[in-house]
Amino acid sequence: MPAENRDPHPQNTRAIMAFLREHNPFASMDEDHLAHFAEHSTLRFYADNDVVISPDDGPVTTFNVVKQGLIRGEREGKDGSVQTTFEISQGECFPLAALIGERPTRTLHRAAGDTFCLSLDHASFVTLFAESDPFRDFCLRGVSSLLDQVNQRIQSNAMATISPAQSLDTPLDRYALRNPIVCSPDSPVRKAVARMHENNVGSVIVTNEARQPVGIFTLHDLRTMIAEETASLDASISQVMTPDPLSLPADKDAFSAAMLMAEHHIAHVCLTDREGRLVGIVSQRDLFSLQRVDLVRLARTIATAGHLRTLVSLRSEVTRLVDTMLAHGADSGQIVKIITTLNDVTVRRVLELNMAKSDPGIPFTWLTFGSEGRQEQTLLTDQDNGMLFEPPAGMSEDDVRTTLLPFAETVNNELAECGFTLCKGNIMASNPKLCLSSREWDDWFIRFIEASTPQNLVYSSIFLDMRAVYGPAPPLEQLQQRIVGRIRKNALFQKMLAANAVERRPPLTLFRGFRYAPDGEKHTLDLKRQGLAPFVESARVFALANGITESNTVERMEQLARKGVFDRKDANAWKEAYGLIQAIRMRAHQEQARQDQPLHNYVNPDDLNPLDRRILRESFRQAQRLQHKLELTYQL
Amino acid sequence: MTTPIDQIRHWLSQRFGTTPRRATLDDLPLPKRPDNTDLAGQRLIVLDLETTGLNPARDQVIAIGAVAIDGMAIPLRDQFDLILQRPELDIRETVLIHGIGPESLRRGHETEDALLRLLQWMNGDPVLAFHAAFDRRFLEKALRSRLGYNTGHTWLDVAEILPALFPDARVGKGRLDDWVDWFGLNVSERHHAAADAMATAELALIALRYARKKNILSLAALNDALRVGRRIQQLKNH
Repeated sequence: MPAENRDPHPQNTRAIMAFLREHNPFASMDEDHLAHFAEHSTLRFYADNDVVISPDDGPVTTFNVVKQGLIRGEREGKDGSVQTTFEISQGECFPLAALIGERPTRTLHRAAGDTFCLSLDHASFVTLFAESDPFRDFCLRGVSSLLDQVNQRIQSNAMATISPAQSLDTPLDRYALRNPIVCSPDSPVRKAVARMHENNVGSVIVTNEARQPVGIFTLHDLRTMIAEETASLDASISQVMTPDPLSLPADKDAFSAAMLMAEHHIAHVCLTDREGRLVGIVSQRDLFSLQRVDLVRLARTIATAGHLRTLVSLRSEVTRLVDTMLAHGADSGQIVKIITTLNDVTVRRVLELNMAKSDPGIPFTWLTFGSEGRQEQTLLTDQDNGMLFEPPAGMSEDDVRTTLLPFAETVNNELAECGFTLCKGNIMASNPKLCLSSREWDDWFIRFIEASTPQNLVYSSIFLDMRAVYGPAPPLEQLQQRIVGRIRKNALFQKMLAANAVERRPPLTLFRGFRYAPDGEKHTLDLKRQGLAPFVESARVFALANGITESNTVERMEQLARKGVFDRKDANAWKEAYGLIQAIRMRAHQEQARQDQPLHNYVNPDDLNPLDRRILRESFRQAQRLQHKLELTYQL
Repeated sequence: MTTPIDQIRHWLSQRFGTTPRRATLDDLPLPKRPDNTDLAGQRLIVLDLETTGLNPARDQVIAIGAVAIDGMAIPLRDQFDLILQRPELDIRETVLIHGIGPESLRRGHETEDALLRLLQWMNGDPVLAFHAAFDRRFLEKALRSRLGYNTGHTWLDVAEILPALFPDARVGKGRLDDWVDWFGLNVSERHHAAADAMATAELALIALRYARKKNILSLAALNDALRVGRRIQQLKNH
């Protein structure tokens, strides 16, 4: 036998096998199965724009891999326009769902550029499907949506101690106590406590005739009442209850309840139906007995910390909590909200401690800007804050600043000790330019909007995303209404914002793959600037142009969908894509934190698993679509 | 329809000579002329040879690689990849190019049998090659001298088809490597007969696909188009 024939496969078969081995699921398949694939495949060529598979072709019978080039999935929109629904690039397989379902594909597959595909006939596919476990798993998994795959993987990584049925996405009524103990407002305390005792529960809900909750009374309240002798056991419960208990509709998820509890440091939330009638109650213990994620306790500890050094020491607990939540499969949107909530609680506590020490005596609203303003903070965070005040009678604005600025400086420094890095650009409340009265802020924004300098456009991502963290909110709400009103009327400013928002392109090359970041290490992508920024900036322009004062990106997209500015399906896809990039970024941060590296936003796509790479590519493509909408809207 | 097992068996028998009886020249299918058969139903042979040098009068074939284009696709099961048993040949000048050393040639496939199998596998179908005149001269000489086989096949030159269909391609001297680069193809191993045949076949597939868009649907139509191209070239040169 010739020397080269000792290898059982001819050169061209070997070459195909080598190509396949670089991709999933082939990388994990046995050599024999790979050879079977290579020997039974057919290489086909499609010129740019050629139809590869069409819904009109009848049930799909071939399994295909892109050997070179790109295939786009096209669906016709309601208005007859053609939309790209997905892209299949080198090494990816199609059309799995139709092949497994033995049905025609629902999407027209069209070559984008000259494309070669390896095609496996049905008989060989069936053989491989029956014999190769990795191949079968891959085909079946491909059928579920991309998001399902991510969740499957995250959940499979989650610790075995957690019951998989319990997650923060679970509707609240799964956790809730049905038919909670209730009493009317005029019931004597003695009777209410007796009912709690009989039923072995720690709380009773006080309801009116319509069965709407008007108050809550807990064992904690009973202890306070007796210890402080505020009322007798014969007093009516309405005198000692906590009025207006917090409620949520019963179809909300557990996460909403957890956030509400963390924000208000409470242990119970009432569940109500559409008419506001009580249907159940959920307690902190119910929510977290299985999760072991003690968000509420941590938030309360921070909110009641007596010293700055306690707050500083609690920061490591925040990191640990985020770690746990990631491991338990919380989604990135939930985690950034948790981080933001805990950061807010910390900022508030620093302010409260300082107020207790040296109250400046002038009411003010503490503002946060940028990512904190958008409630999109991750562990990598610095301070962007400012102050808004009304000068009391007899005081000039400069008088007020003389009093407030030293206070602000102390707060900025103490926040830095808690892990909020001082802002390099001095966007902090201790900067006299950012400690302003309502009138001054208003003037400031008029100049900002009318003088559309390049520097102002850079600042738009900071100052157009703001939120009140401490102090009265109405002054800021009025300010925001005026700002949004002016931007709505100023088409030129909108257009400049839009042009600025499409400047940073998602890191995709025309056909083949990722475009790497110009700075940073070789072959890395900047997930924040290249990945998230296109979403954040596009959503901001659309939101401001449509009178939405909300600053959170996902919430902006949601409201734009409700207003009909975004197609509902588009909005969902964009929200999902944004969340997926954020999730990959946060996993990278956690990994960096674990290795004691400084946190940064660069990833090398080669370090990601193929699924994450595909998710990233698809998410970036969604960012391109969003930017494209901006370009169409503003004729850029 | 043949089952996969039959196909494997068929392929094995072709490669390792376990067919019960040796084919003879009389059994061979007659070569086909380029006709109006739609390319979508046409089988074509794409062939590449490795030789001991560039002179057909003196040099010899040492390896044959070929793939088929069948119905506008390249089925991987339908291919030919053999080194010939020719230990007597001097390969000092070319061993660095094709990498086939004396040991390979000593252990190669018995030449007459390999050539007979090739003819049988070719099935008289038209043959495409890159710079076809070169491969044609070498192969016909080998067939004549080793088998006494004199029937000519239909040959088409991919190096001529490509510029006719892609006149704007910037491919320098138009070598195989230039065209491979132009279309961004991956060649698994250059100067390996089978791998070069595969690259040529991929180029041919691209060309035929684009030919269909110009309503060139058969080999006869393609031949006509090439003839017109040659004529225009002659006129330009005068």
